[in-house]
Amino acid sequence: MNQCQTEQQSEFTVVRLAGEVDLSWSAEVRRAVLSALAGSDKVGVHLGEVSYIDSSGIAALVEGFQNARGRGQTFVLIAASDPVRAVLRLARLDRVFELVEALPESRPG
Amino acid sequence: MTPAAAKDVSDIGAATAPRAEQRLLARLADLSQRLAVSIDLEETLSQVAELIADSMDAEGSAVFLIDEQQGRIVCRACAGPIDIRGLSLRMDQGLVGRAITRRECEIVADAASDPDFAGRELKSNGGFVTRSVLTAPIMTSEGVIGALQVLNRRGGAPFDSDDADALRLLAAPTALALNHARLSEALLSSNRIRRELTMARRLQRSLLPKRRRGGFPIRALNFPAREISGDFYDFFELADGRIAFTVGDVAGKGLDASFLMVRCASLLRWAGKEGLSPSLWLERANNELLEAIAPGMFVCAVAGYFDPYSQRAVWANAGFPPLLRVDRDGEFQRFDAEGPPLGILAGLRYPQQEAALDGAALYLFSDGLTDVRGDDGQVLGIEGVQTAVSEMRQLPAEARLRALVRRLRRMSVTDDTTLMVIEPESDLLLRIEFAPQPHALQPMRHAADACLAALGVDSGLRASLVLALDEACANVIRHGFGGGCSDGRVELVIAREPGGLRFVLSDSAAGVDPSTVRPRDLDECRPGGLGVSFIDALMDSWQITPIASGGNRLLMRKRWPKQAACTVAESTHQGPSAL
Repeated sequence: MNQCQTEQQSEFTVVRLAGEVDLSWSAEVRRAVLSALAGSDKVGVHLGEVSYIDSSGIAALVEGFQNARGRGQTFVLIAASDPVRAVLRLARLDRVFELVEALPESRPG
Repeated sequence: MTPAAAKDVSDIGAATAPRAEQRLLARLADLSQRLAVSIDLEETLSQVAELIADSMDAEGSAVFLIDEQQGRIVCRACAGPIDIRGLSLRMDQGLVGRAITRRECEIVADAASDPDFAGRELKSNGGFVTRSVLTAPIMTSEGVIGALQVLNRRGGAPFDSDDADALRLLAAPTALALNHARLSEALLSSNRIRRELTMARRLQRSLLPKRRRGGFPIRALNFPAREISGDFYDFFELADGRIAFTVGDVAGKGLDASFLMVRCASLLRWAGKEGLSPSLWLERANNELLEAIAPGMFVCAVAGYFDPYSQRAVWANAGFPPLLRVDRDGEFQRFDAEGPPLGILAGLRYPQQEAALDGAALYLFSDGLTDVRGDDGQVLGIEGVQTAVSEMRQLPAEARLRALVRRLRRMSVTDDTTLMVIEPESDLLLRIEFAPQPHALQPMRHAADACLAALGVDSGLRASLVLALDEACANVIRHGFGGGCSDGRVELVIAREPGGLRFVLSDSAAGVDPSTVRPRDLDECRPGGLGVSFIDALMDSWQITPIASGGNRLLMRKRWPKQAACTVAESTHQGPSAL
């Protein structure tokens, strides 16, 4: 049920997560996010199917965000579910991350 | 006395006989009256000597008593010119010995010519010459206890059979008075012993911990079979919140058992203050005790801890009767001793035993309890204790203990009897134990969520609490167990408490320094260290305590949101602390 798939959606590399993100596989999430950033200037993490995320999952997202910003890359969180939004709010990261409901058909680079 | 005066006496002898009798009666009444109020043996004896000499018109008198222990006759008091107090004769020696042996009054007109006269052996008689001697045994219901002796009737005439009758008459109240004084003395001495025993008992009882009220989980009772007890119990709190407990039974009854009890109880308290594991605790007590214990004496004991936060008891048992765990459904679990008694051999091992006490009570009792006899003469036995406890299990703890005591008191207690009950009062909702590995987190979260949902906690608050628990467990796995290991242990307990919930996470990891675990400022945007901040934000309070015998305890509390204080079950409103 836990899923971490990387797919190409027009110019974005999207890491699609599903299930409960916790310590048992957040390292895998981190690797997927960092490898997506290594291969693409536009990376999105899809969180619509994530029913739970803990601080280790959030940490993977924060690390991705910081890497992207340092290199002038785009990093967005897509369709964050309510549980994810709640944790982002708790960590006061809801205003730090760029949260979008869906990827635009085309974005100016 | 001049010959003329002597003549006078002999002349009026016959005519004054009734007067002499009257005088004797008056003396007898006087003696009886004075002796009746005398309870001091020494004083009674010297009064008797004076009164006898006076009444019998004798130059000297002596009171001899039989010293049972030495098998000799000893002069205890005397009147007259020479002091023979302390003179000690064989039971068959002298005129006294003869009177006592024959149980008859001995009249000797001329002591010098009597072969039994012992007085001639006295080194110094101060010029006193014994002529006529009259000796009467002192008889009581228990037999002869001594003899009265008068020497030399004033006027020179020897004692005659009338005098013998008179002395026998005087011996009767003397016997009564001496008996009276001896009984009084025995009573005084037994009162003194009783007073001392009462003090010893008070001292002993002062060593027992005071009863605690207000839901304290340990209750204990002790009935000594005699004034003082060979049983003991103790409990005291450690800095880490655990409650240490000990129960013991010293082999034997009476004073030496009580002294050993005092020593063993203080030894166990001393060793228990360090919070050692129960096994080490008893090992240390055993080795200490062996340095000075009389051969053939030993102590059966249990030492352990109850953790009110995790509601778990751990202990080690040195030859003490089995511990019984009884749950609300009346299910019994019996834990037999796995170690031998203390004080027999150095270097013995005492394996640790343990039981979770949510919805259950742990009974510890000395063999005095199993050995009580009912009306049928049968001993109660462990099965009897089980039956009694089972019948009373629906009663609240305090009432149950009282009912057990009432039942015991109806039975005949022959040995020191001690009963301890460990029973947490708070309402435990969940206990789960898992390996410190990341894949154990999800089942933990689901179990906690289900538990909170069953309690009626709304989904928002539930998500907060589950996240905090997950973060806490993840921290234990990451920092306590270096990312995960298979032989460690983590336990989560959720309990209801007044006004909210209590979450206790216990682990078997190396002790952490609580000062190094701090939330960080959430306004900093960086990947690590969020977990503690989440816990800090989501719980009302949290505290990490290293446990002295190993492991750590994280205690977290959450008060019910104010809006939902009364109706958690129906609350649809998210609490202020919810996500």
